[in-house]
Amino acid sequence: MTDWLGLSAAPRTPRPELKGRVLARALAPRRRWRGPLAAAAMITLAVGGGGGAWWAYRTIGTLTTERDGLVARVHALEDTVSTFIHGPATRLIQIPVSTGGRVGSVTIFADSVRHRWLVRCDGLAPNARDQAYQLWFITDSGMTSAAVMPMNEDKPMVMALEMPGGGEGDPRVLGAAMSIEPRAGSASPSGPMVFHRLL
Amino acid sequence: MTSPKRLSQEHQRSLERRLKAGDEHALGELFDLVAPWILGLALHILHDEDEAEEVVGDVFVQVWRHIDQHDAGRGPLVPWILSIARNRSLDALRRRRRWRRKSTHLEQAQEMEGGASAPAASHEAAVPGWPVHREVHAALAALSEEQRRVVVLSYFEGMSHREIAQRLRLPLGTVKTRLRMAHQTLTEGLRHLKDWVE
Repeated sequence: MTDWLGLSAAPRTPRPELKGRVLARALAPRRRWRGPLAAAAMITLAVGGGGGAWWAYRTIGTLTTERDGLVARVHALEDTVSTFIHGPATRLIQIPVSTGGRVGSVTIFADSVRHRWLVRCDGLAPNARDQAYQLWFITDSGMTSAAVMPMNEDKPMVMALEMPGGGEGDPRVLGAAMSIEPRAGSASPSGPMVFHRLL
Repeated sequence: MTSPKRLSQEHQRSLERRLKAGDEHALGELFDLVAPWILGLALHILHDEDEAEEVVGDVFVQVWRHIDQHDAGRGPLVPWILSIARNRSLDALRRRRRWRRKSTHLEQAQEMEGGASAPAASHEAAVPGWPVHREVHAALAALSEEQRRVVVLSYFEGMSHREIAQRLRLPLGTVKTRLRMAHQTLTEGLRHLKDWVE
């Protein structure tokens, strides 16, 4: 219960640049040599002294973190896409859709070994401000939410999803569906259906 | 102005699934959803913008690397993240105290403690979760002054029961009793949030 107490402090809108900095840091790979490198830099700093050395250290550190973050993101995306596309147990399902008077498609790479889906949405019309696309797993025990996807811009979206269960007694995924729901998502489909497909 | 939004449990579950599947876009969405609350909480505890932003970074690193440790059966994602934010903020606060570098700043901040818990400017009401904030804030405000004081010292300043007793010059047993009663009242008042669904 006391965990909710954090919400008693008033929220503060972060500075715009904080998001990029935080995400780059979170997604950066963990490097074993960073500690010794930092120690070496500190020793150099201590020996050499001076504001110039400190500035250089900070700048190099920031740029290194940023570069590592970008490299890690590219590698992670390459790995993910490659695993899905080239995996022997991957099925490719392409579903044409029509939203807001335009034709697009939803492509699903379903990896039955790792119980993961890679979903790419192309040509979907951007959502109204209070709406979002919601993807559903059709299972033998009903519809289960897979992802809520608020789409504000007119550009493709790629996401990785974990399939429900996979163990004995868990629901079996029979297909996929997408509907337009309130921005925060719904517990079960209630809005217009974009597609409904048994796989 | 955007109308106040609730923190939907369905949205939280969806984000959690995507984070567990390694979806980096989900981390960006999570940032938009909870960073204002993490920053607000860290600022409330630390009263220092730079340190609070550092805490925001620490929290997202921990969430990204250890999302598997969150047990959805024990509660929604956001309170779990806020508990990480609180712990990280208190760690930073303790480090600061230990080093005794910013004692003057801390004193000024503590003088402002009352004002800091007041609701923020109206535009913050557009941040998702604002209605929940009002309920939690109201529950805290509804406590008696003596109960609220021990909760604030315990939760937001991370003081031990003994430290609170020394600060308020109260017997240790009295502090424990006030905290227990405050927790009972808050548990009762915020029970509906546990099963909260939009």
